[in-house]
Amino acid sequence: MRATIDLHLPYATRVEQALANRHLKTALERATGRMDGQRVTAMAAVDGERLRDQTQQMKEYALRQWPELLEQLESNLTANGAHVHWAKEAGEVNRTLIQIARKANVQKVVKVKSMVSEEAHLNDALAQAGISVVETDLGEFIIQLAGEPPSHIIAPVIHRRVEDIAEIFQQELDMPPTLDPQVICGVARTHLRREFLGADMGISGCNFAIAETGTIGIVTNEGNGRMSSTLPRVYVVVMGIEKIVPTVEDAFLQYQALCRSATGQQCSVYLSLTSGPRQPGDADGPDEFHVILLDNGRVDMLAKGYGEALCCIRCGACLNVCPVYREIGGHAYGSTYSGPIGAVISGLLHTDVTDVDALPYASTLCCACRDACPVQIDLPRLLLDLRHDIVAEGETSRWERMGMQSFAQIMHNPTLYESGGKMAGLGSNLLAWFGGGSVKRLPGAFAGWTDSRNFPPFAKQSFRSLWRERTKRRKSISGDALA
Amino acid sequence: MSNREDILNRIRIILSRADLPFPPVDAPPLDLDTRMTVTTATGEPRALAARFGAELAKLAGDYEILDSAVEARLALINRLTDWAAEEEAARRGPKLETGQERTVLSWHPDELPVTGLAETLADLGWKLVAPGDLRTPESRDAVRFIRFGLTGVEAAFASTGSLLLLSGAGRSRAASLLPFRHVALIPFSRLYPTMEAWLAERRERGELVDHLRGRAAWNMITGPSKSADIEMNLTLGVHGPKYLHAILFDDIH
Repeated sequence: MRATIDLHLPYATRVEQALANRHLKTALERATGRMDGQRVTAMAAVDGERLRDQTQQMKEYALRQWPELLEQLESNLTANGAHVHWAKEAGEVNRTLIQIARKANVQKVVKVKSMVSEEAHLNDALAQAGISVVETDLGEFIIQLAGEPPSHIIAPVIHRRVEDIAEIFQQELDMPPTLDPQVICGVARTHLRREFLGADMGISGCNFAIAETGTIGIVTNEGNGRMSSTLPRVYVVVMGIEKIVPTVEDAFLQYQALCRSATGQQCSVYLSLTSGPRQPGDADGPDEFHVILLDNGRVDMLAKGYGEALCCIRCGACLNVCPVYREIGGHAYGSTYSGPIGAVISGLLHTDVTDVDALPYASTLCCACRDACPVQIDLPRLLLDLRHDIVAEGETSRWERMGMQSFAQIMHNPTLYESGGKMAGLGSNLLAWFGGGSVKRLPGAFAGWTDSRNFPPFAKQSFRSLWRERTKRRKSISGDALA
Repeated sequence: MSNREDILNRIRIILSRADLPFPPVDAPPLDLDTRMTVTTATGEPRALAARFGAELAKLAGDYEILDSAVEARLALINRLTDWAAEEEAARRGPKLETGQERTVLSWHPDELPVTGLAETLADLGWKLVAPGDLRTPESRDAVRFIRFGLTGVEAAFASTGSLLLLSGAGRSRAASLLPFRHVALIPFSRLYPTMEAWLAERRERGELVDHLRGRAAWNMITGPSKSADIEMNLTLGVHGPKYLHAILFDDIH
C-alpha cells in the first residue's frame, strides 16, 4: 500500500505504469468527467464568459502592477500585526518555517492542502527538523497515511478507490471494516479533531492575497482551513508571489471564478480571510501570524515570456478537460503540478522534476484547456513555445535533430520530396502487403510508432502524380475541342 | 541585497522591457462601473429570505423564515430540542456523560440579534456558553464535546445562501466551527441580495478597507462542511458542522 509511486522514475516508465493501472483510468474518467460537467453547468448558470474576461483582466492588471501591489500587501500585513518573510527559493521557505517553529516552541503542525508547500517539500523538511506535520484535508490526510504525493490540484486522492482508502484507515487508524464513505469521514473527523486541538502551528497556502487590506484568503469545503487558521497559536501562510489581487472586490470576483471552475460550486463552503493575528478581546485566533512570500522561479517565468502562466488560480479545470491527463493522471507528470498547467510551469519553477522536458509534449494541443481556463491562459501556445525553446536549446536527441534536418532538406527540394515520397510509398505498401493491409512494424528509429499502433501505408499514387495526370488529361481534352 | 529588494527590483526591471510579451503594458484595472455582479437576486426582504433558504437547501442546509424575533427565539428552542432528541435516538452504546450535553457554544448574548436567549434557554435546562478565551487546553476541554453552536451574522447573501461572520470580542470563531450542528440567526436587516451588493454598500460608505483590516478574520460560510475526496462521494461534517440551520426573521416591520 505504501510508497508505490516513484515520481523520479523516467517519464516513459511513469506513463506506462499509469496506463497499466486499470483502476486509475476508471477513477480518472469518473472524477474528471464529473468535475468538468459541474464546471460547465456552473459557468453556464451565470455570464461565464464575462466572468472569465474580468478575472483575466484583473490578473493582467495585478501582474502589471506586481511590485507595487506586493509592497502594498507587505505594508498592510505588517500594519495589521503580521510578520512578512521573503523567500527566493523553496528551500528558504523550509528554513524560515523551522526558525519560526523553533522560536515559538512548536512541536506539532496541522497543515491545509497547499501546492506551494509541496513545491518546497515542506513536510519532509519539518519532519527532519523533528516537527510533526499532519495533513488535514481529507484527501491529503489519506495520501499522507499512504505515503503518496497528490495527483490532482484540488482532488489529491483522485487515484484511489474507496476500497484502498478503507484499507489504509484500517491499517493506520484501526478503523473497523467498512466501505461507507460517511463512516470513513467520521473516523477522520475524530482523529483530526484531536490533532487540531493539540497543534501549535497551522500552515496553509493562499488562494489570493488582497493588497489594499493585507488579507490572505483560503478556500476550503471541509473546514480544515478555518481550523488551522483559528486554533493553533501560530498561523503561517506560504504563498507564491503571483497570488496577489488589488482589491477586496477583485478577491471576491476571483473567488467565484475559482469555485465555479474547480468544483462547479457557486461558493465553497468556507472562505476564510485572515488579516492579522488575534485581536484584544477575541476569544480565539492565532497569537502569531506569518506570511512567507515565495518566488522560486516565478520572476524568471515572467522574464522568459511565460508570465501568462502566473495568472493561474489553481482551479484544476485544465486537468479535467485534458485528454492526456485523463489517461495518465497526475503522478505520471512527476511534478507537484500536473495537467496542462503543470506541463507549462514544472520546468519553469525551480523544482526537481525527472524528464521535465518531456512534459510540454504531454499534450494533444486540442485547446480544451484554454477554453476551460477561468483566466483564459493560452496554454497550447505556451506549450508550443516551450517545445520551441527545448529545440532551440538543443535539448533533443541526435536522431531527432538529424531526422528534422533531413525532413527540412527534403521539404525544400521538390525532386527530393517526390522521390522520398515514392520510396516511402513503395516501402510502406510492401510492408503492408506482408502485414495483411497495414504496417505492423516499422524498422529502426520509426519502430516507436508501431509499438503501440499500426502505421497506415501511403496511398498507391501520390497527389502530385494524380495532379499531373489530371492536368495532362484536361490539356488533351481542351486540345481536342480546339481542333 | 535582501530577498525582498532582489525580487522587487528584478520584477521592475523585467516589466520595463519593451519586448516583454506579457502582461500588456496598458492592462486596465476593473473599475466599479464595469465590474460584474456574478449572481443575482431581487425582491423584498421576504423574497430574499426565500431565495436564501432555497440556495441553502440545495447544499443540504436547512432554514425557516419567521415574522419576528420572538418567533425566532421559539424556533431556536425547538430546533435545539429536536436535534438533541435526534442525537439521543441515533446513539449506539452507553451514553457518554460529558457534562456538555445540553450546552450551546455561542456568541456572547449581546452579539446575538435576538434578546433574552440565555435566560429562555436556562429556563428549559439549556446552558449558553460564550467563552472569552479559548486558547488554553482547559478552556478548550470545557467546550470540546458541545454539539450545538449558535451565532448571528454580519451579513447574509441570498443569491448564494452564504453567511458572513466577522471575528471580534464576543464573537468566537469556534461557535460556528467546532460543534456538529450550527444555528445562524439572520435578521432581514442583514440580508443582502448578493455579496457584491454588501461590498458595494461598504465601499460607498468608505468603510470597506477598515472593516476588513479592523477584524482579524472574516469567514464566509455556504452550507455544511463537506468533501468529495472519497471517490467523489459526498460526505458531510468533515471538520466543521454537519448540520447548518438558518433562522431568518423579520426585524424590519
